[in-house]
Formats: sequence, structure tokens, C-alpha cells
Amino acid sequence: MHLSDGVMPTTLALGCAAASLAIAAWSTRRIPERDLPRVAVMTAAFFVATLVHVPLGPTSMHLLLPGLVGVLLGPAAFAAIGLGLVLQSLLFQFGGLTALGGNALLMGLPALACGLLFRLGRRLNLRRRIALAVVCGALGTFGAALLMALLLALSGEDFLGVAKLALAAHLPVMVVEAAMTGFIVAFLARVKPEMLAAPLPVRELADEY
Amino acid sequence: MNIDPQATLVLSPLWLVPAALGIMLVATLALQALQRLVEQPLTELGAAAAGGSPLHRWEPRCKLAALLGFALCAVSLTSLWLVLAALLAAAGGQALSGLPWQGPWRRLQAISGFLVMLVVVLPLTATVRPGDILLQFAGLSGLAINLRGLELALLITGKAWTVALLAEPMLATAAPAATLAGLQQLGLPRRAVSLLLISHRYLFVFRDEAARMRIGMQARGFRPRPSWTSLHDLGNFFGMLLVRSYERTERVQQAMLARGYRGVLPQPEKISVLPADWLAAALVLALGLGLLLADRLAGG
Repeated sequence: MHLSDGVMPTTLALGCAAASLAIAAWSTRRIPERDLPRVAVMTAAFFVATLVHVPLGPTSMHLLLPGLVGVLLGPAAFAAIGLGLVLQSLLFQFGGLTALGGNALLMGLPALACGLLFRLGRRLNLRRRIALAVVCGALGTFGAALLMALLLALSGEDFLGVAKLALAAHLPVMVVEAAMTGFIVAFLARVKPEMLAAPLPVRELADEY
Repeated sequence: MNIDPQATLVLSPLWLVPAALGIMLVATLALQALQRLVEQPLTELGAAAAGGSPLHRWEPRCKLAALLGFALCAVSLTSLWLVLAALLAAAGGQALSGLPWQGPWRRLQAISGFLVMLVVVLPLTATVRPGDILLQFAGLSGLAINLRGLELALLITGKAWTVALLAEPMLATAAPAATLAGLQQLGLPRRAVSLLLISHRYLFVFRDEAARMRIGMQARGFRPRPSWTSLHDLGNFFGMLLVRSYERTERVQQAMLARGYRGVLPQPEKISVLPADWLAAALVLALGLGLLLADRLAGG
């Protein structure tokens, strides 16, 4: 779920935009020039993955996958998420135009954290790394929901009720995201283990991260 | 908060029935619209770029800067009437562009889920301040509808709609490459522009790939159900999509490197800015700032 235009006061929206531009610039600089096309193509794949509906109880949801983006792209995750959000906004209006910065922060920061967490566990055995991926899937979504609630609360005390509701609504989503991230990482471990060996763009500087 | 509101209107609880029915109807429509939206084909940005409207002839840099500035002014408004004026101005822009109304209609549907949630939840949860008008139902003391919360929700709806209506005239009246070149000239980093161009291109490739894989799964009897097995199968589906994309990234990179890519895409030609472009940008920005000024003067 994204914040729409008009919720955040203009100062907060601009502050978030400035912060996310700075982090996106850092994140983009971590991608070697020749690997830019690869990150762009992976972003397109994640974008399409978030459009597919997944059944949840009597209804269905679409995935957010911030944890998985972090796991697979590492420090480039913020750039990829910012890029995906810009495309979503350009094509569908999800995520708004003036709220883009805030939405990039709330999805991108948890993704970066998950990327770091998964990287820290790179010496664990496969079973534990998959368990770690499940944790990343849950944490990524939880972090996004928490930051969304925080931004709503910062937008004014009138939004406290909405913030609590948004947090509660993300709990079932968190379970599905965690399971999905686990299934996907288990699949990748069997089929294409090098995708999990190091985040895509930092192959050469893997030890630096 | 034990501040007494200035006015509490007590209504018969019978009013709850039409209200609940109305909310359920709108929420169902919004959900269905969202469902349809995902099933609809993705349309390329600026697919209808050819056109002869003044917006098509407007130089992209001026157009983007002016409309973004107007959007920022619009989301800073606090008066419902002025938001309505901004909404009408944005609708005027859409009409002027001569683009089909289907585009903005889809954008409005896309954001309707969040907005319906706000319209339902904000009146019930907004903080009660002195001077607020509360609607209560006889016999149901726990349920109070704060009219200021409703006003706030409508204000946000109006602003979100304004920005949504601005989007098509801003983005669909030029080819994507021209729009992105405009953004680059306005200060968007070159790397971000390259990333956007390539992602936008491959989006449609992967959409088709995902659709083909979906058909394959359905042909083998897969039906999505809310069960772990179903989730597992979908996990494999997503995993396969990512593996194929990953392998494609290697091929794309090698193909681009072989054709001389060194991290920079060729620059499109610069379009010169005419006085009319400046004038149009100044007028749109003046309209936005005028609305903002009127808002601040009226609001104090």
C-alpha cells in the first residue's frame, strides 16, 4: 500500500523527497556503470512480479517484496525501488507524484536493511539462509508498514487512527510476504544459486559491502 | 481528549443503514476497479504521443516544470473550494490535451482504494477539537462521525485527484524519451534516466513472459487458491520469472556492451524553448501560486 498525494504536508513531502534522492544517489553510485542495464532489467522483473495477484483468504493481494529486492540487489535495492515507484507513478498513479519521496523511503529503507541482514548471514547453511529470507520477507513488509504509520502520524494527529489501521492491515500481508520470500529464495537456491551468492551489482566489490 | 465539541447532532440510527450500504457499494466498486486494473494490459507511457494539442507542442522541460510546480501548489492547499478549483483546472488541462479520458479514469481507479479507506476511517478516528461538529446516532454513543475528519478526507481526495488528472497531460503528450530528456535537463541524473528508459522497455517484455508462464500453469491445472500449496507454486512461478529475468540481464548487458554501451545512452536532440513555452509555464505557475496565496489569505 502506498500513501497518496495530499496526505503529507508539503514540507514533510519535500523533506522525504530530498532524503530519498540522497539515498537513491548513494545507492545508484554503488552500481558499476556497465551493470546499470542489469539492475534496470531486474527492476522491470520485480515490477511485473508485484502486479501478479496472490490469493489471501477470501480476497487477493499483490506483493510488495521489499525484503526480496533487498536480498537480491543489496545496496542497489533503494535505487531499484525508487525506480519501480517512479514507473508505477508514471504508468498507474500508485504512489502519487508529490508523495513519491515518502513512498520510496518507506519501501526502500526496509529493503536496504534486509539486504544487509541477508548479507550478514551469508556463511550460514542453506536451511538457515532460507529461514533468514523468511525473516527478511516479514521484516521488509513490517518495516514498510511501520514507516508508513510513522509518516501518517507525522502528517497530523488526525491520522493516528489511519496509521494504526494501516499497521494492523499489514499483518496478514506480512505472513504471505514472508512465506513467498522463503519459497522464492528456496527456489533460487535450487535453480540459480549464484543469484544468492552476492547482490547483483556488487559482484566485484562484494567484500566491501 | 475530553474537550467538548461545540455541536453534536444526534441522528436516528436508521441513517446508519444507507450509510453502510453506500460505503459497501463504493468499496466493492473500488476493489473491482483495482482488480480490473491489474488485468488490463499495461499501456506504454506516451503511447498516444502523436497529437496536435497545445500540450503536445509545449516544450517538455517547461511543461514538466510548470505542471510539477502546479501539483506542489495544489497539494499545499487547505480549503476545499480552492482544491475544487485546482481540480477543475487540472481537468481543463486534460480536456485541452485532447487525450482520451480513459487514461485519467484508470489513474483515478488506481488510487481509489486508499482514498475510500480514508473517507471511511478519518471521520471516525480524527481527533476531536473544539469547534468540531459531531454526528451521533441515538442509542449508539460509541460511534461519532467527525465532520472535520470527513472534510479532511475529501480534501485529500480532491488533491490526489488533481495530481492524477495532471499526470496524463504531463506524461502522455510526448514520447517517453522526450519526457525523460526533459527531466534530465531539469536535473534528474543521467544514470537515473538510463535506468528508467531500460526498465520501462523491459517491463513489457516481462509482462508478456509472466502472462505466458501463467497460461502454462493454468494449462497444467493450476488455479490460485488461498492455500500453502498454491503459495508454494506461485513462489516457484515468481522464482522462475526472476531466474529468466536474471539470465536476460546478462544477454541484454552483453548485447549493449557489444554495441558500444559505456554506461551512457545517446542524448536526444535538444528542443529550443520558445517565448510561448515560457509564457505558458509562467501562466500555469501563476495559477498555482495564486490558488496557494488565496488559500493562505483565506485561512489566515
